[in-house]
Amino acid sequence: MSQHDTHDDDVMGKAFDARLMRRLVHFLKPYWKMFLVCVLLILVLSGVQIGLPYITKIAIDDFLTLPWAVVTLDSAPHVGDPIALDEGRYLVRTNEVPADTRKRWELSGALTAKRYLFVPQGSAQEAVASRYPEAFTPVPGGSFASEEALRTLPAVDTIALRQGAITGVIRLAILFAIALVIRFLFGVAQVYLLQLTGQKVMYDMRRQIFAHVLRLPLSYFDRTPVGRLVTRVTNDVAAINEMFTSMLVNLFRDAFLILAVIAIMFHLEWKVALAILALFPFIVLAAFEFRRRVRSAYREVRRQIARLNANLQESISGMRIIQVFVQEIKANERFQKINVDKYSASMRQLLTFAVFRPLMSFLSSFAVALVIWYGGRNVLQGSLSLGALTAFIQYVRMLFEPILDLSQGYNVLQGAMAASERIFILLDESEEDRGGGEKIGNLQGKIEFRHVWFAYKDENWVLKDVFFTVAPGSSVAIVGPTGSGKTTIIRLLLRMYQIQKGEILLDGVAIEKLDLAFLRSRMAVVLQEVFLFSGDIMENIRLYSEIPEEEAMEAARFANASFVEELPNGYQTEVKERGVTLSVGERQLLSFARAMAFKPQILVLDEATASIDSQTESVIQRSLEKIMEGRTSIVIAHRLSTIRKSDNIIVLHNGKIIEEGTHEELISLRGLYAALHALQFAEG
Amino acid sequence: MLLLEYLDTVSTDYTALIVIDKSKPSVQRQPWRKMLRVLAFVQRHKRQENVARSGHSLSGIIVITRTFKLRLFLFRVRSLSMDRLTGWLWRYRRRVLFGFLSLLVVDGAALIVPLVIRGAIDRLASGEGGVLTSGLYIVGLAAVVMLFRFLWRYFLIGSARQIERDLRSKLYQHLLRLSASFYNEHKTGDLMAHATNDIDAVSRACGFGVLTIADPIFMIPVAIGIMLSIDPRLTLYAIIPLPILTVFMLGFGKVIHRRFEVVQEAFSGLMEKVRENVAGIRVVKSFVQEEGTERDFAATNSTFIDKNMALVRMWGLFEPLIELLGGATMAIVLWAGGISVISGSISLGDFVAFSQYLMMLTWPMISLGWAVNIIQRGRASLERINRLLAAEPEIVDSPHPQATHGSKIEIKNLTFSYPSRDGNAPALSNIDLKIEEGTTLGLVGLTGSGKSTLVRMIPRVFDPPPGCVHLGGEDVHDLSLAVLRGMIGFVPQDPFLFSASIAENIAFGNPGANTDQVQQAARLAGIHDEIIAFPEGYETRVGERGIALSGGQKQRVAIARALLLVPQILIFDDPLSAVDAEREAFILSNLREFFRGRTAIIIAHRLSAVMHADRIVVLDKGQIVERGTHAELLARGGIYRSIWDLQQAEREVNGEPA
Repeated sequence: MSQHDTHDDDVMGKAFDARLMRRLVHFLKPYWKMFLVCVLLILVLSGVQIGLPYITKIAIDDFLTLPWAVVTLDSAPHVGDPIALDEGRYLVRTNEVPADTRKRWELSGALTAKRYLFVPQGSAQEAVASRYPEAFTPVPGGSFASEEALRTLPAVDTIALRQGAITGVIRLAILFAIALVIRFLFGVAQVYLLQLTGQKVMYDMRRQIFAHVLRLPLSYFDRTPVGRLVTRVTNDVAAINEMFTSMLVNLFRDAFLILAVIAIMFHLEWKVALAILALFPFIVLAAFEFRRRVRSAYREVRRQIARLNANLQESISGMRIIQVFVQEIKANERFQKINVDKYSASMRQLLTFAVFRPLMSFLSSFAVALVIWYGGRNVLQGSLSLGALTAFIQYVRMLFEPILDLSQGYNVLQGAMAASERIFILLDESEEDRGGGEKIGNLQGKIEFRHVWFAYKDENWVLKDVFFTVAPGSSVAIVGPTGSGKTTIIRLLLRMYQIQKGEILLDGVAIEKLDLAFLRSRMAVVLQEVFLFSGDIMENIRLYSEIPEEEAMEAARFANASFVEELPNGYQTEVKERGVTLSVGERQLLSFARAMAFKPQILVLDEATASIDSQTESVIQRSLEKIMEGRTSIVIAHRLSTIRKSDNIIVLHNGKIIEEGTHEELISLRGLYAALHALQFAEG
Repeated sequence: MLLLEYLDTVSTDYTALIVIDKSKPSVQRQPWRKMLRVLAFVQRHKRQENVARSGHSLSGIIVITRTFKLRLFLFRVRSLSMDRLTGWLWRYRRRVLFGFLSLLVVDGAALIVPLVIRGAIDRLASGEGGVLTSGLYIVGLAAVVMLFRFLWRYFLIGSARQIERDLRSKLYQHLLRLSASFYNEHKTGDLMAHATNDIDAVSRACGFGVLTIADPIFMIPVAIGIMLSIDPRLTLYAIIPLPILTVFMLGFGKVIHRRFEVVQEAFSGLMEKVRENVAGIRVVKSFVQEEGTERDFAATNSTFIDKNMALVRMWGLFEPLIELLGGATMAIVLWAGGISVISGSISLGDFVAFSQYLMMLTWPMISLGWAVNIIQRGRASLERINRLLAAEPEIVDSPHPQATHGSKIEIKNLTFSYPSRDGNAPALSNIDLKIEEGTTLGLVGLTGSGKSTLVRMIPRVFDPPPGCVHLGGEDVHDLSLAVLRGMIGFVPQDPFLFSASIAENIAFGNPGANTDQVQQAARLAGIHDEIIAFPEGYETRVGERGIALSGGQKQRVAIARALLLVPQILIFDDPLSAVDAEREAFILSNLREFFRGRTAIIIAHRLSAVMHADRIVVLDKGQIVERGTHAELLARGGIYRSIWDLQQAEREVNGEPA
């Protein structure tokens, strides 16, 4: 049944808008220091992240492999602490030979891949070496052994010979552990701080939006569904928070990580780095294409879920109708169709993931293979160390995650931009006019409507030239058919809407000149449909004001709402969501109590038409008479008793006052009121 | 004769429908699957045997083969185990099996890669070449991994999606069968939660949960086996932190989940706070409570922040701690493995391969803990869904539906209490009432006097005790529900409309109706003129996404919906309360022609709506206190008379001029 389920909220625009961003940053300003600390922490974290594979690289190159090699040259080299073996052959410390020199030697065949251990004369290891004359060849300044020869030695002796390397590895392992602890501590601090900042920003935004919403003119609420405003304050703010906390900060981290990895790869060997970078465009392309598809698939899934939930919700609430009209089969067909649509959408989403995720990891493995092949050739040529090669393998893996993350960031950014656009449109709505600020010291309660014209929209006049006066302390009943403009009069008096022509005066002062809060606080309004807030009865009587409990109870008793005292928890009884536990009549009485608690000079009342049993009816009637006593009252009246007791009756028809006077006057006038009266009487 | 016995316990009726012939093997052999389907059908409808009568027929000859007994047994076992996750997975066993096999291939190929790297490094260390071959091996393995990763995702996660689809479908069909009393006791929100969150949890358990359990089962032993073959001592050192990871995830996952739920709750609280204040904005503004409301909101707002930070305190530890423990294994490898390389007991290639295996192990060890949580949650959710599925519909179809004779309604000594409100006085007591075919009954009484309850007994929205309510000479329990309800055009108090076009709503009970018929019904209900005044006329959508109809408009659409059924019986439960008296009178006089020849019950608040009825009954506290025609009741001077007088006085001022 429901084909039109697309939310206008789902429409996505561009991912970046400088104007919106500037306004968003405004919210961040109070917390910029915290934000900065987060970014700094992230820089440190990325540094540590990059450092870990490098520690392994050092361990491999300096300690796990033997450092000495034999080079055949015409004259002794200037680098690598050369030790002359015999004519033209020198033992050199390879890790101290510059890469280009090494490479030259490699290419000319002067340097071989074989590695040796050199034990200098007078060192602690000399004693061990001297026990294996078949392995160690004496040279000036010490003795040396090949890797193969060393393997023949028992492990204890190998360890003794290489004590220095072992100490070095242990030191590096400790360094590695320290780096881990730093990463842990900084990582925890970073997450906590970032979230705290985000939450504080959210708190401020929600507060500001909510405060703004409360002060919007009623005309805004008339044209905006409740759900939309709820979304602004809750979900839209959450989308922006996600951008601040996950995306913006990750952007720094990912960008920094990518740059750092690329830099360190170039430092290790620029040719291999360049080869990896050649893959970069494919990876980025695949990542962004993946995100694009995921995005559209995800949106489709969301749309189908919304349809499914809407259908389900409606089926459950309308189950009685479905069953009574014997439409179970049809309802089931409809549901199953949506269910299958949702299934297909989620399968499409699954396929996207199933294709792209493995593809990304294939690309990552491909890069590793490239490192092994091309890097391996460089190792053989001597321009890349083995440690650097293994580090390369790890760095390649490190390069991939941030790219995927970054492409994800685009989605978040787009969502946040759309959300902030909606929020700013709301914040740019002008608030209702708070009035001229005047207050009346000793309010009498005289109300005058002078030639008031009003239309909710354009020139569709709801009130036309309405003119009447309510003397202080007197009551006026407004009578007329639905749509004649009765409720509008009440709304205008409270300045819920601005009139187009004419004047409304309170004690002779135009209400626009009065302070809005002052104006409204002098009047108590009882609306036809009683709105109860969640919370207990006491809270519903005094709302958020400082009215003492005792006074609130007094007001309740005065308004005949004594039923409250018979409830198990008295005034502390919770009125569950929308006050379902209370009857219509009881709610009406509660609203009288609420009105009384605020001690108004003027009472504005829209009499309930809802069906109430006669006993409650008479209680309400008596209560009504009591609360109107001695107050200026404007009542939209439905009950004859209320009308008769009013000092004045206004008969409204199509926004115009046709007749005015007391019941007797109007009857004797033989006009519409009388005709109405007679007609009703005769027909019955 | 197992099957015959089985069918006997189900229903004797079906033995006649299904021919079971073991002695004649020449009869067409059906695959056992089909037989089971027939059998399942029988089983499903054992309480609704009218299915056969209402058009469905069982045409299929079951031949009992030797293996049938076994199949039947398996079928029963399987339908029992449907209450469990494994039962659902069994249903898609082929896909799940393919998924598992693909997973094995992926893991196998992935486990070879470090060995290739080891070979390459060792050859490089000794100055040999052959790196191109190694590179090609890796690319080849990666290609295999890619292909089979696609397959396991497709098969395993795909079957979870199918389970989700089927479970939701099953739940919905069950909901369609449940009675009004069930919906009185269960909140819509809770039912929605079962149909969304719980089903999601089951789906996650069947897909991601099963995957993350299956993956480590193969991966961990093989990886550890290879590592042991490289260096047993080093392996023991290095894997020490890993079980800690799993245990940590187990406990941690639970705490995080709990806190996450608290955050969700706080978020709902926040939403509700905003919703409430926006909905009550008139009150807020009238009583100048903007600042107080703001203060109150600030409290809710900061509660939400607090709950969020409580989650962050745990969740913020999560990733760093995993990285710490995962990193610790690497530090151990660097230390102990480094010494092993130096002492010559392992090669450099071994060292690199070792670290790669450890990296591969970290994730499965983490996810193992995670998966246990996910599966536990899925199981709990499935249990909740099963409880819902176990709820038996209270109102079930008659096993031997009778035909009705006319539309006379007879209520004999009916006493009824709502099951959920025990202790209170019965909602209806000792009601005796006869509504002759073709007559109209007016039902009058104060709020809560039992009028709505009484009329709901007739279409069995609530079930009357047997023998009390008769329609066309038969107890309503002896009629097929579809037939019974199909006879009645019901207009409920609350005119529920679906979010669809007005035309679709009117044709709800009679989807085959043409435009003319729909418009005719709307005219009769006095709503046609207002509908064509909308820009899109009858195609105007109502409900959430459409226009908001007024209460009176909704009520009249609901009337049109009932009229379009052209029912033999009409029940109006105060359907014009939101329409003014003038229009009510106008509509009812229009309908008088339609009512001719039909049996009708009209509940109304305004007596003007029932005064023309053939008979009027006054209910008070669940009992009939007065009955007669309008004139008789006025003359009697009882409750009816006093309501009449009151309303007359009110009408003096309340009506609209013509």
